[in-house]
Amino acid sequence: MKFLKECPILIGIALIAVILTVISFACQGSVYSDYAEESDPAKVPALALVFKAARDEVFPWSGSAGAQVATGEVQGEADGAGAEGEGSSATEADVEGQEGSAPDGSDQSASWLYGDVDAAISGNDISGNAVSGDDAEPETYEFTEVDEDYFTDALFIGDSRTVGLSEYCEPLDERATFYSKVSLTIYTVMDKEFVKTDEGKISVDAALRENQFSKIYIMLGLNEIGTGDTEYFFNAYKEVIDRIMELQPDAIIYIQSIMHVTAEKAHGDKNFNNEKINARNEAIAQLADQKKIFYIDMNEAVDDEDGNLDKSLSFDGVHLKASSYERWYEFLLHNAIVR
Amino acid sequence: MVNFSDLNFIFRFLPIFLIAFYITPIRLRTWTLFLGSLLFYAVGDLRMLPALLAAIIVNFLFGKAQFAEKSKSLLFFILAIDAGMLVEFKILGQFVNSSLLPIGISFYIFKMISYQMDVYSGKIHKDARFIDVATYFSMFPQIVSGPIMRYEKFLENPMLDEDKSRDKSLWVLIEDGLRYFIVGLAMKVLIADHLSMLWHDIGTIGYESISTPLAWLGAYAYTLELYFDFWGYSLMAGGIGVMLGFPFIVNFDQPYGSGSVSEFYRRWHATLGSWFRDYIYFPLGGSRKGNFRTVFNLLVVWLVTGFWHGITPNFILWGVVLFVIIVCEKYLVFKVFPDKLGKVVGKINVLVLIPLTWVIFAITDFDMLAMYFSRLFPFFGQGIVVNDNDFFKNIGIYWMVLLPGFILLFPKVFEFWENRRGHIVFNVIWILLFWFCIYSISGAAGNPFMYFRF
Repeated sequence: MKFLKECPILIGIALIAVILTVISFACQGSVYSDYAEESDPAKVPALALVFKAARDEVFPWSGSAGAQVATGEVQGEADGAGAEGEGSSATEADVEGQEGSAPDGSDQSASWLYGDVDAAISGNDISGNAVSGDDAEPETYEFTEVDEDYFTDALFIGDSRTVGLSEYCEPLDERATFYSKVSLTIYTVMDKEFVKTDEGKISVDAALRENQFSKIYIMLGLNEIGTGDTEYFFNAYKEVIDRIMELQPDAIIYIQSIMHVTAEKAHGDKNFNNEKINARNEAIAQLADQKKIFYIDMNEAVDDEDGNLDKSLSFDGVHLKASSYERWYEFLLHNAIVR
Repeated sequence: MVNFSDLNFIFRFLPIFLIAFYITPIRLRTWTLFLGSLLFYAVGDLRMLPALLAAIIVNFLFGKAQFAEKSKSLLFFILAIDAGMLVEFKILGQFVNSSLLPIGISFYIFKMISYQMDVYSGKIHKDARFIDVATYFSMFPQIVSGPIMRYEKFLENPMLDEDKSRDKSLWVLIEDGLRYFIVGLAMKVLIADHLSMLWHDIGTIGYESISTPLAWLGAYAYTLELYFDFWGYSLMAGGIGVMLGFPFIVNFDQPYGSGSVSEFYRRWHATLGSWFRDYIYFPLGGSRKGNFRTVFNLLVVWLVTGFWHGITPNFILWGVVLFVIIVCEKYLVFKVFPDKLGKVVGKINVLVLIPLTWVIFAITDFDMLAMYFSRLFPFFGQGIVVNDNDFFKNIGIYWMVLLPGFILLFPKVFEFWENRRGHIVFNVIWILLFWFCIYSISGAAGNPFMYFRF
């Protein structure tokens, strides 16, 4: 008893630590199997699994299927749509967790603070498309220059980089709609409920059922660069594009290249490097059909001569500085399709 | 693992070490601490372990020679070696490769210098044993970032003394150390690490594009971040020391409750401040050799302080600015101004000028620093692509960490806990707080202490 009186905190902590460790080992075969695979027991104490999983809202009493979807790290079944909102129930904690698990979380982890402030639907009411012609003959389109109002019926979908575009490119923010969220990935984009409406947050899938756009710009792919291989990524991307085509049959879809990182950032990083980004860009460029889907390589606007993100344009090597978004915007103005 | 907020440290190294420490017979415990500390250092920076060992041996031998016969030239010689080693590694670390700066060198070299000076001045009388001296220099709770404990405090540990160790219960010590450790961990993990994201994000936007309110928010956020990062670290280090039987070393004594900048620096990183006072300011004559010499001595102290923190020019500027403020306080504010006004100005210095000096501390590039100040004081031009909502956006995201940080600035808050820290309510809260920190750590990749390489 004297012992208990002398060190209640120590006993409390030790007891809980033992319990958590036992739980962690007991569930490694079931609920925590995905987390156990990812983490090296020599590097991280076993009880960390319980917390890692809890961030994804996976608990010892959850079914083991939930774990797979929530981590989004699992290779194999690419069928995110079958997840029935489990992925979309992700919260802020989840967002952080994902970034932390990236091999180089240090810079990324800061980006959650972009928040989802700008994910709001600006309520642009697009009443159908002005495209009148039904001409069946196959047409080829060329990129041309357009003016600012081109973006009035445009939608931008993306991660923190697109959030930045909405915050620091006023002419665009005033006109276009943004469904963008920090740490958004191609795997979570359709189902995650982050698009703000008057009735609360809904998924992009739901928002696209309600609102029609004439142009849809997508830039996704950096957050998930460490997840799966290029083919896995490509398949997920294709699925998203197919779904968008289904929901928005009249829209022009722009697949924007994944923006490069700076040479300094890429150096020695096995995931966040431009070879990997280029490989994925080449893959998603194949999705362009030059009729409705177009690929635009915005890196032309921000690269240095070695094909890395120009370091004068970025502080952290990943995001553009506020004053650099102008270049991206100019690029979009000069590389548009008019039908 | 050399990070106290690392899971491997908390759940592996620390408990195993504590068990090993306390099952070792008392007369051999110092060895356990020494070997444990070497292991700790080796895990963090194996390549630089020889540098530490060499410095330990050389300093021990010079100290030993000094016990035999006091010699000023011997003292100068060893001080030159120590200071030279520090300067050389700092230059290597800055201009060649940052990995060449050994972990904790700024701190262990300062311990060594203080040891040599104390031996010479006769403060340390008896012939010190090698194991004591070596362990004092290298002990893992202090090797990374201090506190810069004095050798006499090292000898005050009852758990290393066969005659005294019976008086103390090791469980009481571990428990009390744990309390300090947890409160430090929470400050570091829950407050400082999250505020660092705000500061980082301001960089991502680019200083030229932040609104003036955000620039001020950034200055205060960085101020709080630095405070809780380092105070938190010091509480953790002090707590581990207590677990091992050492007296609790107060490194931060509510600095933001100070009435002047000079008082602030007696209470901020107090072991460093008293080191500069005892081993540089006083030996130079302190304030006893007339006004001119006093000002000169202060300048020397602050230039060295700036240099010690880093060798980029902004640290020198930081030191010089503090020197100017302190001299103004000494000869103008508290001498010429009426009493009441002086007090107000002193407070303003602490609450407004200190955060501005931290901005100088934070931004190593002069052009960027100038840009930041032009956003703080937007009289000289406009920003580029400023989003005026940025302030409220960040307040919306960060109020949860800014608010507790702000509350903890009031000295009474910490005092209240410290005086009642054995209360059952606090015990329960502390257990929860601990696990909340662990939850936070398991999700985020470790962000090393900002003072790590100083």
